[in-house]
Amino acid sequence: MKIIGKFLKFIALMMFLILALVPLYWVIITSLKNSKEIYTFPIKYLPELISFESYRKLFAFTNFAIYFKNSLTVALIASFGALLISMFSGYAISRYSFKFKKYILLSLFFTQMIPIFMVMVPLYEMFSKVRMLDKLITLIILYTNMMIPFSTIMAKAFFDRIPVSLEEAAEIDGCSKQQALFKIVLPLTLPGLAAIFSFSFINTWNELFLAVMFINSDAKMTIPVALNSFVSKMGVGWELMSAGIVIALLPTIIVFAFAQRYIVSGLTEGVIKG
Amino acid sequence: MRNKNSKFFLIMLIPTFISVILLTYIPISKGLIMAFQNYNLYDLSNIHFIGFKNFQEVFSDTSFNFLQILLNTFLWVIGSLFFQFVLGFVLALLMTKPFKGRGLYSGLVFYPWALSAFAIGLIWAWMFNGQFGIINDILKKIGLIHQNIGFLSDPKYALLSVIIANIWCGIPFFAIMLLAALQSVPSEIYEAAEIDGAGYFKRLFHITIPYIKPTIINTTLLRTIWIMNSPEIIYAMTSGGPANSTNILATQMISKIYNFYDYGQSSAIGVMIMGILIVYTIIYLKITSLKEFSL
Repeated sequence: MKIIGKFLKFIALMMFLILALVPLYWVIITSLKNSKEIYTFPIKYLPELISFESYRKLFAFTNFAIYFKNSLTVALIASFGALLISMFSGYAISRYSFKFKKYILLSLFFTQMIPIFMVMVPLYEMFSKVRMLDKLITLIILYTNMMIPFSTIMAKAFFDRIPVSLEEAAEIDGCSKQQALFKIVLPLTLPGLAAIFSFSFINTWNELFLAVMFINSDAKMTIPVALNSFVSKMGVGWELMSAGIVIALLPTIIVFAFAQRYIVSGLTEGVIKG
Repeated sequence: MRNKNSKFFLIMLIPTFISVILLTYIPISKGLIMAFQNYNLYDLSNIHFIGFKNFQEVFSDTSFNFLQILLNTFLWVIGSLFFQFVLGFVLALLMTKPFKGRGLYSGLVFYPWALSAFAIGLIWAWMFNGQFGIINDILKKIGLIHQNIGFLSDPKYALLSVIIANIWCGIPFFAIMLLAALQSVPSEIYEAAEIDGAGYFKRLFHITIPYIKPTIINTTLLRTIWIMNSPEIIYAMTSGGPANSTNILATQMISKIYNFYDYGQSSAIGVMIMGILIVYTIIYLKITSLKEFSL
């Protein structure tokens, strides 16, 4: 009985694994085929010879290296900005008891319910008045703001789990409040901060609609905007599209691989118990 | 002393306040106002209040059957949520007890969580392709179908196809969350139940699920909000077509902006989405916490 149970469990685990990997496998395989091989029958599940033609074309005929750089710049700066700001607000909400605390948390949670297209046009008008359209700094500002509410909620939950007595002890020993925060509390929340940063990086790297709205010129495009433009562009076949998608996916997969432990504990402990 | 402290804390909150008020709450107020205005890019010199006319026009739109959009939205949210949750839960249960290579395994099954929904939509569009898609090819090879199906071009299959892509996208979120919750269940409870002779499913429904109920409630609520507000997959795969068959409220908002430049009507749909989500959240939290009291 026990052996049969174990076997069934193994089969089930394998099925989940295959289900998870097939789409990634298929997009990678497509990107490594040459353009003729993609549109011929029978469909080949292994490419006859691996060709990096699509990647060469992608970087030769489009500014994909620039899009990559833009995406990376925007995602890194915005995630760092959101982390810095939400670290302080999360700490303040966690440690300081004031009357409207519940309402502040609620107003932060409420931002999650707002459809992005509802604020898009007012934001567009706002930024157009100060002549900040089609600029990467605008995307950085918008993305930082986009990540602040959820990051604050996560940060608050992390700080909640660090006993106040630690800071009080430090203060008795002659530390100021600021010193207690920077020397005692922050080092302890480092895994949590890593989780918040990775979470923001993944979300900002993947953001599509704000970028499509605010970026027009080719030199300012981020990767999602470029992929979106490929959809409607004539002559962009699935081999080129797949190469673009693979490059779009790589950074978040890498971040996830390295930060998985932090992200998992960050999401679960930070949000669910928070 | 206390005064000095409160100043310290207030200063820490200022950047968040400024950012969220200036870039979220002021724009959303404007968006709410726009829902009651004639606000069209082609008619910008003529912005004025028109009461509920935007809502009426969305309801009675002849080219987009609004009842169908509502039904699609419902199926999209419920269908995606249900299977994401069930499959995520099963995966989490399978992974609760340690096995060799669990760390690597979790990386390989959880990674879709980090991917862009838009890119996932594009990949699934390619897999569902009516001519060269592997899903058609595989279904033919195992003899389930004999002729290619136009999954994304046939209104009969399009909604099902986008929901399948969305389910794939959301399994890891639930698996991650529920796995962590399952691992926090103290093993003594199980031991006691095992001594009492409770079988696997009895233990699952009478011990495990009640114990991790707060996680279940929080994750399903959060996920519902996200699914309702994430049109990326549909946008990438079908843009709401063919013949309105995959159009949900969130994609209809996009279409009103991208194709008709009608910001007023788009905002009116946004108001409906927010209204539905607020009512849903209140009812959901009421029902779930009431049950908890009765347990």
